Parts: sequence; C-alpha cells; structure tokens
Amino acid sequence: MSVNDTFVGGKRKPYRRGWGRDRVAGTLGSTALGVYVGFIALWMIFPMLVVILASLEGTFDISLIPEKLSLDSYAQIPQSYWDSFWFTLWISLAATVVALVVAVPAGWALVRGRLRERRIISNLVLVPIIVPQLILGIALLGLFIPLQLKNTFLGIMIALTGLNLALAIRFTEALIQGVPEEYELAAQSLGAGRFTVFRTVVLPVIAQGIIIAGLFIFMQDLISFVILFFIAGPSTTPIAIRLFVDIVQRGVLPYAVAMACVLVYVALAFYAIVAFIFGPKYLTGAPVSRKG
Amino acid sequence: MVSSKAAGGEPSAARRLLVSGITAQLPGSPGRRERTASEISSWRRSRERLFFRLLTLPAVLIALFVAIIPLGMLVFRSFLDRTGAATFANYAQSFTNPLFMRTLVTTILMAVTVTVLSTALAYPVAYVMARHTRLRNVLMPAVTIPRMLPFVVIGYAVILLLAPFTGLLNKLFMAMGIIKEPLFILFDWPGLLIAFGYSGLVIATGMLTGVLMSVDPQLEEAAVGLGASRLVAFFKVTLPLTIPGVIASGGIVFTSVVTAYSIPVMLSGRVPFMIAPIIAVTLQSLGDFNLAFAQAVIVTILSLGGTLGAQFVLDRYGRT
Repeated sequence: MSVNDTFVGGKRKPYRRGWGRDRVAGTLGSTALGVYVGFIALWMIFPMLVVILASLEGTFDISLIPEKLSLDSYAQIPQSYWDSFWFTLWISLAATVVALVVAVPAGWALVRGRLRERRIISNLVLVPIIVPQLILGIALLGLFIPLQLKNTFLGIMIALTGLNLALAIRFTEALIQGVPEEYELAAQSLGAGRFTVFRTVVLPVIAQGIIIAGLFIFMQDLISFVILFFIAGPSTTPIAIRLFVDIVQRGVLPYAVAMACVLVYVALAFYAIVAFIFGPKYLTGAPVSRKG
Repeated sequence: MVSSKAAGGEPSAARRLLVSGITAQLPGSPGRRERTASEISSWRRSRERLFFRLLTLPAVLIALFVAIIPLGMLVFRSFLDRTGAATFANYAQSFTNPLFMRTLVTTILMAVTVTVLSTALAYPVAYVMARHTRLRNVLMPAVTIPRMLPFVVIGYAVILLLAPFTGLLNKLFMAMGIIKEPLFILFDWPGLLIAFGYSGLVIATGMLTGVLMSVDPQLEEAAVGLGASRLVAFFKVTLPLTIPGVIASGGIVFTSVVTAYSIPVMLSGRVPFMIAPIIAVTLQSLGDFNLAFAQAVIVTILSLGGTLGAQFVLDRYGRT
C-alpha cells in the first residue's frame, strides 16, 4: 500500500490519476522511505548478527562469508558463566513471582476499592522506575551496606521486585478495568466474601494477561544491569555483570562472545513465545528497557 | 447488598460516612442504642476500605524500602561530611573539580547529540510502522528484540564492528578502498556516539511508534482531502500532535545516556567522556560515599530536569 493512496468509504482509491508531478514525487518519496526503513532495520539487528557470527566462527576476526563454523566456543564456556546464568534465571523468576503476588491484589484493590489515595500509590510505585537506575543503585548501596543486604539473594530480589511493581500494577489495573464489576457483585450477592470473589472470579478471568505481564517482567529482570552492578557481589553475580567485568578486565574472549550469544537466543526465544503464542499485538507497547 | 459504589460522591459526604462508621464501632458510643441501617452500611464500607488498604500495603512498603528511603538517605547524606556534620562541602568540591565539570559538559553534549539524532532517525521508521500494519509485523522483531538484550551484548557487538584491525567496518572500508589505514574510533567519542546512537534509536523507535499509533490517520487524510499536499499535511497535522510524545521519548533517551554506566566503561579510552564512571569511581574506589551521593544528586537533577523543563515549557507555552 503506497503512501499515495487514500481511503474513501472503506475502499482504496488513488487520489490523483495519471503520473503528475506530485505522483512522481510521492512515489520517489515512499521508495526513499522504504529504503531508509530497511537500512535502519538492518542496523538494528546488526548486534545480533555480529554476535551470532562471531560465536559460530570462534574468533572476533569475523568475516561475512565464514569458512568454517564450529561450536567450540560454546563448549569452552566456563562453569562460572553457567552458574551466573542460572543464578540470573532463578533470581528473575523469584522477583517476578514476588512482584506478581504483591502487585495483582494491589492493582485489584486500587481499581475496585476506590481509595482516595489511589493516585498517591500509583505515583509512589512509579518512583523506582523514574529515578535513573544508576542513582537508585547508588542509593540502595548506601542502604544495603548497613543492613547487610549487599551481595545477598534477598537484597537483589527486593530491588528487582521494587522495579517490577509499577509495571505489574499498571498491567493488573488495565486488566481489571476490562472485567465488568457486575461479575464480582453477582458472586458477592450469592454470599461470596471479597477474598473468595477475587480467587474464584477475578483471577481466572485475568490469568492470561497476568502470565504475559509476568513474561515481560521476567525478561526485564534478566537484563537489569546498572542497579544490580552496585548491590551484587562476588557470590551473587548476574550474567550481564560477569560478562561486563570480563570484558573490562580481560578484553573480548571467544567464550564470552558465545555466552553473549546465548543471551541473544534467550531474547529470540522470548520474542517467539510472546509473538506466536499470544500474538504480536502484545509487543507494541513493550515496556521501556532499563539498560545502561 | 452494599457495594462500595457510593463512595464516588462528594468527599465531605464520604468523610462524614466514614467518621460515623468509626464511632459506631466504639464501645462507649452514645447509649449503646440500636445501630441504624445507615450506620451498619457505613461500618461495613469502612471495613471494606480497610481490607483494600491492607491489600495495597505490601506494594507501598516495598516502594518505600526500595526507592523512598534510600533516595531520602542519599539526599540527606550528600549534605554531611565524613564526621557527620552538616555541610555544603561535597557540592562545592564537585563544582570546583575541573575533571568533574569537564566530564559533565561532555556528557551533556553527548546526551543532547544522541537525543536529537536518534529522535530524528527514529521518527520516519516509527511513522511507517504506525501506519502500515503488515510492515509493522515484519519490522517488529528488529525493533523489539534489541530491547531484550543486556547492554553488554550491544557493547560486544560494537567492539566487533569497530575494532581497529579486526572490526567488520574497518575491513569492509579497507577492502572497498575508502580508507587506507584502519580507523581508531572505537575507544574514542565516535565509538561512544555510535553505541549510544544505537540504544537511543531502539528506545525512540519503540516509544514513537506507540505515540504515532495513537494519532488518528484520518486527520491527515482530511487535510489531504482539503487540498494539502502529503508533506504539508504531515507537518501541519501529525507532527504537532506528536510533540508531547517526542519530548517524552527524548527525555528518556537523554536520561539513559546521562546515567549510562556500562557502555562508557566498556568503550572508554584514557579521557573519560561520561559522568557515570566518575561517580562509580568516587563510590567504589575512593569510598567517599557522601561525595558520590552529592554527585549523584547533581546528575539526577540534570537528567530529570531537562525532561521536566521541556514538559513545563510545552504545557505553559505549547498551546497558543
């Protein structure tokens, strides 16, 4: 569909006939736009391509037409990397579950409770994601050292949970607003208590949405970096931080590239899960990444 | 059956109900008389409200513990010296430190450049993605998947692309005869600009697509139908409607560049260009927490101030 077309009464009609000057300019313009968009798309996927190529060639002197491909660099990934990788998966899973357990009832209460402090609470949980991660990481370090939470599973999990709250509550609020309150009132009038209503009526209706929210939160936790850089320690190192420390101290290593490539595969798998199981529309409003 | 639906009324009435609900529960409330129906219902309503408040309590506590308390401590301690006495010395020391001030200036320059560049580069892509559903589904992976990679992976890719002798770009340009000697741009500001430009482009494309999708395409069609050319219709109708979204996405890009830590450290040369590594060194190597906290406050005000200022100017003078 070209930019030159216009919609009239649901049918597509060319809005100007013949090859006038405007039509030619419009065709040229949309062609240029298409080329530009293709170029940008290529530029956007280049990190994945480069990392995958380098990991398969086992060297960083990569060529676009590889002579030999091997999985050697994957086999060389040291155990400490896998430990970090599984640690990251576990802590992300834990933080996601805790965030959902806290946020889903809270989101329901914010919508149905008609509390006067609703706006205050919504803004309060937004604070951790509005403040730059660098600053929050430094501030948390100042708090966690006296509490001895630095370099602990619990400390990292609490920090990640705090970051996830806003997203989880927003998601829940939007889901609950899509459920007619009459369902809950009907159950209540039949004698169900508020908690029973929540468990047997609300939760089953919003379950699918909650799972999708959980997936996004999990992915965000997996790539969190700056905030964890300050509060993590030698015994609790997420994989992104281990890769970072290695590149700073020892330079680019083939097995580190292979590990980075594993992270690319995780992202690809996540995209495939969300896009093909739930549909691509969920990816449009994907949350802003908290990189740095 | 009483629902909580009535609470949406005027606040004073709601407050009166709440107060009477509480007094109805008190053991010594007037004369232990029979409770009227309205008293029972308001008592039930206040109990429901308590139930809902309790449900939100864990979220509030976590937000307080993770954000409000540490940030409050950060601001408070930035005004203390090593012995714990109140002082402005940390701020004075930061503002008179030539390295800190020079790096602050280069950071702002870098952030402004990246923000302008990535917004300008991302806007056409976002426009195409917002207007063409089929193209959007094709382009979606390219735009979305980079957001799910840790920045470290982007850093590895930039190094593999730009490294002086083994990098793809250098080898390509040398083979094509564009350059005679390898470019040493990786550990200098151009390398940083390319890496930040990449992340800024990814963030801006995602956000601007959402912004442009919320603008009704029929508005532009109407302008064309009334005789405007495509370009004029775009600049007079669509672009002004998206300015708030452009400022929001620009603010996020700006903040992400100012406070970026991993990319500047991975790609840094001898001269520091970015402020975040300097704060980290003050904190972790020098161990001077209060000075680092003061620097963090300065950077926070800088990074959030730009966005909030732009929003304020827009609110105040944007609509004439």
